[in-house]
Amino acid sequence: MNAFSYARPRALADALRMLRTGAASALAGGTDLLGLMKDGLARPDALVDLTGIEGLRGWSHARGKGLRIGALTPLVELETDETLAKTMPILRDSLRDAATLQLRTMGTVGGNLLQRNRCWYFRDEGTVCWLKGGTRCFAVDGENRYHAIIGARECAMVSPSDLVPALIAYDAEISLTGSRGERRMKLADLFVAPHGSQRREHTLRPAELIVEVRVPEAALARKGTYLKAMDRKAWSFALVSVAAAARIDRGVARDVRIVMGGVAPVPWRVLAAEKGLEGSALDDAACTDAAERILSGATPLRDNGYKVTLARELVRRALRSLVS
Amino acid sequence: MLRGPGAIDLGLTVNGEAVRVHVPPRRTLLDTLRQSLGLTGSKRVCDEGTCGACTVIVDDRPVYACMTLAIACEGKHVETIEGLTKDASGEGERGLHPVQRAFIDADAFQCGFCTPGQIMSIVALLRATPSPTEDDVRRAVAGNLCRCGAYPNIVAAGVNAGRRKK
Amino acid sequence: MPRVVKSREEFEGEVYESLVLVEGSDLPQLDGAEHTQIAHARRRIDGTQRVSGHARYTQDIYLPGMLFVRVLRSPYPRARVRRIDTKKAEALPGVRGVLHRFNAPKAAFRGEDTIFREEVRFVGDEVAAIAADDEDTAAEALRLVEVDYELLPHVVDLEEAIGDMAPPLETDGNVAESATHKRGDVRKAIRDADAVIDATYRTSTQLHNSLETHGAVATWDGERLTVYESTQHVFGVRQGLRTALGLPFSKIRVICDYMGGGFGSKGGVGKYSIVASLFAMRLGRPIRCILTRDEENLAAGNRSATLQQLRLAGKDGRITAIEHTSWANAGQGKWVANPTGPTNTIYDVPNLTSKSYKVITNAGALSAFRAPGYVEGTFALESAVDELAIKMGVDPLALRRKHAGSPKDPMGGKRYSDKHLLECYRIGAKEIGWERRRSGGLRGSALYRRRGIGMATQIWGGGGGPPAYATVHVNPDGTAVVTAGTQDIGTGTRTVLAQVCADELGVDLADVDVRIGDTETPYGPISAGSITLASVGPAVRIAARDAKEQLLGAAAGVLETPKAELRLEAGMIVSKGARTRLGEILGKVDNNTVIGKGGRHPNDPDLSQRTFGAHFAEVEVDVRTGEISVEHVVAVHDIGRIVNPLTARSQVEGGVLQAVGFALTEERFLDRATGRVMNGNLENYKVPTVRDVPAKITVKFVDRPDRRANNLGVKGLGEPPIIPTAGAIANAVANATGARVRHAPLTRARVLEALAVAGARA
Repeated sequence: MNAFSYARPRALADALRMLRTGAASALAGGTDLLGLMKDGLARPDALVDLTGIEGLRGWSHARGKGLRIGALTPLVELETDETLAKTMPILRDSLRDAATLQLRTMGTVGGNLLQRNRCWYFRDEGTVCWLKGGTRCFAVDGENRYHAIIGARECAMVSPSDLVPALIAYDAEISLTGSRGERRMKLADLFVAPHGSQRREHTLRPAELIVEVRVPEAALARKGTYLKAMDRKAWSFALVSVAAAARIDRGVARDVRIVMGGVAPVPWRVLAAEKGLEGSALDDAACTDAAERILSGATPLRDNGYKVTLARELVRRALRSLVS
Repeated sequence: MLRGPGAIDLGLTVNGEAVRVHVPPRRTLLDTLRQSLGLTGSKRVCDEGTCGACTVIVDDRPVYACMTLAIACEGKHVETIEGLTKDASGEGERGLHPVQRAFIDADAFQCGFCTPGQIMSIVALLRATPSPTEDDVRRAVAGNLCRCGAYPNIVAAGVNAGRRKK
Repeated sequence: MPRVVKSREEFEGEVYESLVLVEGSDLPQLDGAEHTQIAHARRRIDGTQRVSGHARYTQDIYLPGMLFVRVLRSPYPRARVRRIDTKKAEALPGVRGVLHRFNAPKAAFRGEDTIFREEVRFVGDEVAAIAADDEDTAAEALRLVEVDYELLPHVVDLEEAIGDMAPPLETDGNVAESATHKRGDVRKAIRDADAVIDATYRTSTQLHNSLETHGAVATWDGERLTVYESTQHVFGVRQGLRTALGLPFSKIRVICDYMGGGFGSKGGVGKYSIVASLFAMRLGRPIRCILTRDEENLAAGNRSATLQQLRLAGKDGRITAIEHTSWANAGQGKWVANPTGPTNTIYDVPNLTSKSYKVITNAGALSAFRAPGYVEGTFALESAVDELAIKMGVDPLALRRKHAGSPKDPMGGKRYSDKHLLECYRIGAKEIGWERRRSGGLRGSALYRRRGIGMATQIWGGGGGPPAYATVHVNPDGTAVVTAGTQDIGTGTRTVLAQVCADELGVDLADVDVRIGDTETPYGPISAGSITLASVGPAVRIAARDAKEQLLGAAAGVLETPKAELRLEAGMIVSKGARTRLGEILGKVDNNTVIGKGGRHPNDPDLSQRTFGAHFAEVEVDVRTGEISVEHVVAVHDIGRIVNPLTARSQVEGGVLQAVGFALTEERFLDRATGRVMNGNLENYKVPTVRDVPAKITVKFVDRPDRRANNLGVKGLGEPPIIPTAGAIANAVANATGARVRHAPLTRARVLEALAVAGARA
């Protein structure tokens, strides 16, 4: 790591002020940032440790007002809390096989949403790929078994988070704060497939922080399933993951959400497929059909065609499990 | 207040003792333990949060010391493998922690390089779950790689240590 | 009087004839009576050190004034280093020294005269090294070194390197024959066959990923060089340093107390050891040069990727011919393992042709990796045997039985010192429930899951041999110290040597300590090739006997009793009912340390010492997702006498686990265009986690002493358990699903592809 200075402010305003000066980076769990720094991909002059800030840790659920999760909440707290496991079981389901216990202990919700992608060309300091300001994506003609099968533009990386598809399937929103004030957005809108001048996975502004994630009350009535395929039985980023959720009303599905990780540069949804299941009993044929629709636009690379097969089956299974 | 980037004085609590070190902010907790404090039981294997050999307990939770800055540990309680052995001069294995004894009995290590990390993960598990199942132990050490493949015995040691503590 | 004798030893699939020094005569085979230590489960004697964090590994050595070295490595797979400018790096505060090809002294290493080549030949090849006050400073300094590279055409992929379009990396091309064997008439047998299978198998590059990376800490006192190194062979490192630095043996000491895994890759001196030594001698300060994980996976060895073609012919329910051709990616290695080794020897098949080729590429050199060649070759051979059995409509185990019973090595005709392979089959079949196996597989535990059973055979060396020496010092308090120049790479060497000593000497295990891993002890061989116990153990036994004879002699004098009437038991001198503590006797003798010496005697040159075994696997396959779950592995091995059933079982479980990695998840990815390793880390190079362990592992031993092998009747166990698992798993997957995956690891992509092929055929 390069040399840097360090501060651990207690007030959010102080943190924002420090982040505005020079090349400072915000540090929370550090599980992604320190990795980027060790690989020479991030070389900040200063780290502003956010973990001393009061009020951004923990979650609350006021009936009728939805679920609020502070951005500095360690992932392990979402995974292990028994009350939360009843309020929104998909959180535990999505986190159980995410990374490792140590990383979930260190990592925070905000950091998880903002983690950078795991593409091995991106992570290799010696490869100047398009996302890092180069001219091309090396994965397209290179080693691409872990890369995108759908939705990629100039960059074939995939959205790595396990938590994000689960949150989006429950219509999560985020609150941000920065030099231009506070704003709220749908979590899904935080992510964009890098293209043109957008050489980053997120639309976060400079010196802006996520402070909270909110899940609307209506979404908490949904049933949800999270399925993840890995290439070993633990401690792997998803080859393909699927978060499926729906309100099951008298045997038929309402407000269906199907969000995939590991297949596209953003958490992948096909709204038409979701709408097509509105009012469906989610029988095998309907689920298979939805899976086909979601993957119909897939354009796999040399070594990742298997992800299409895998994704279809996981979507089908996830949907079926909502009614079983 | 910004500190660094040069070496600064830090106050840490390690294995129950207040210690002072003089390191730059970029120094990880792992390198600080190993180089500044001579606590070389925590191992450096990947140095990027993927293997678990540097697992230590900070405020009762298992973390990777290689992905933790020493400066971020001010005011926190850090426990290392060395802290488990209350009386290292004790004869034979008298000073060992029940998890350490369980590891020896179950032959839960071969080269031993991942062992301190495995043990710290299980010690942290037992604080929250005093009588873990095999699956509890597997989940607790899924982030602790063992290249020799001592896993079956590590799982047995974890379960046995739980039984023994009761 | 020492004398020179000829010996014949097998090591890692090759047979060597050598001249060795021996003294006296060997002890007779350990008798069949109940022993106090041997054949008893014993906890490791160094357990306390290892679980307490006090065991000191090379990585744990921090010396006052020590400097940290980081190595600049080529970012290109092939280039000429034209110019190196280190001015900016040297100006960085804290930088103390720089070495590169324009300022480093000549240092011979693996047939070259420098460690910094003019033409760098793989991504990771050493270009320069920087010593600084701390590691971060050394790393920052590397970024300031300016190197002018002239890029040259390269090839990294095995199959591309074989092809016509590849740039020739050596004047005589990229492909060289490395081993060949022929017996009978393969062509005729194939012509006359009822069934022939012809298939191509591939295995990917496997990385050792020993948890302790390669590295050394060197100190120089103006006269003597001391190197702490994580190594499987302290004497090998010493020899390498002598060759590189021109120092006499007497001025070099190499120490490896504890080491964090090697798996074959730590067999001798490394460039890091030479760099550390050169800096130590130049700067007069302790130098630490320890590789990072990335460097480990670029420049510290690997198991070669292979391409293997097998043709098998069958007639009347027997295998009549085998033709096996293998190409292995040696990278920049100077040798290559032989995947056809098992083919040549496992089965008594009359007609056989095998050829093994070494292929050089612009990738890091291979190094031995736990049963090099045999793991790759057994996967291919045993898959092919099953394919032939299926084609012939016979039971795959029954087919193997017909060829596995010969008491002679079908390759050289020598008699095996001992062999119980059919017994391994019998035990394994019973434990797995082979009778449940159905052609077409079984129903799995859930919808879309299929279950199958498969097996594969293991052959390997592990007989050990000379030279190996040991001493046993018995102290005035009756405790004993075994000293031998061997290493404990995680197998439990310290513990089994202590057991052998305690057993022979007649003292408690707790009273024996073991000092190893130091060139200032009696010579010991490399801890590789599964030879350690079979080489060093018999020497320890002789040393313990020598010490015991001296002790009894001393006791006879003190007790004024004829020596013949005395015994040594549990630390007591026993004579006609009277028991006297050993310490009491020794306290009365002026010469208060009794030193016994022992050396390994040669093997019987007319015999072939081999280990045998068989693994049986039961798997479930999710046919919609390609996920394989290994439900049960039964591992049966015939390795002679079992000294410590507890650590032996651990060794087998560990071998199975590493094999599960080879079979299912482990694979290095090289970018062909840039030659860069994409997954030289523990995130994307997938070693098995605790949750990848088969649901059940059953370990069984034939456990009969090999009375013709050595005075303990032991053979090695380090490598046998990694050899047959992948073949057994692949055969179980094929049994479950009808899908034959001919490329290890059997990833989801490959399984789904094979399922699609099988589905289309069905």
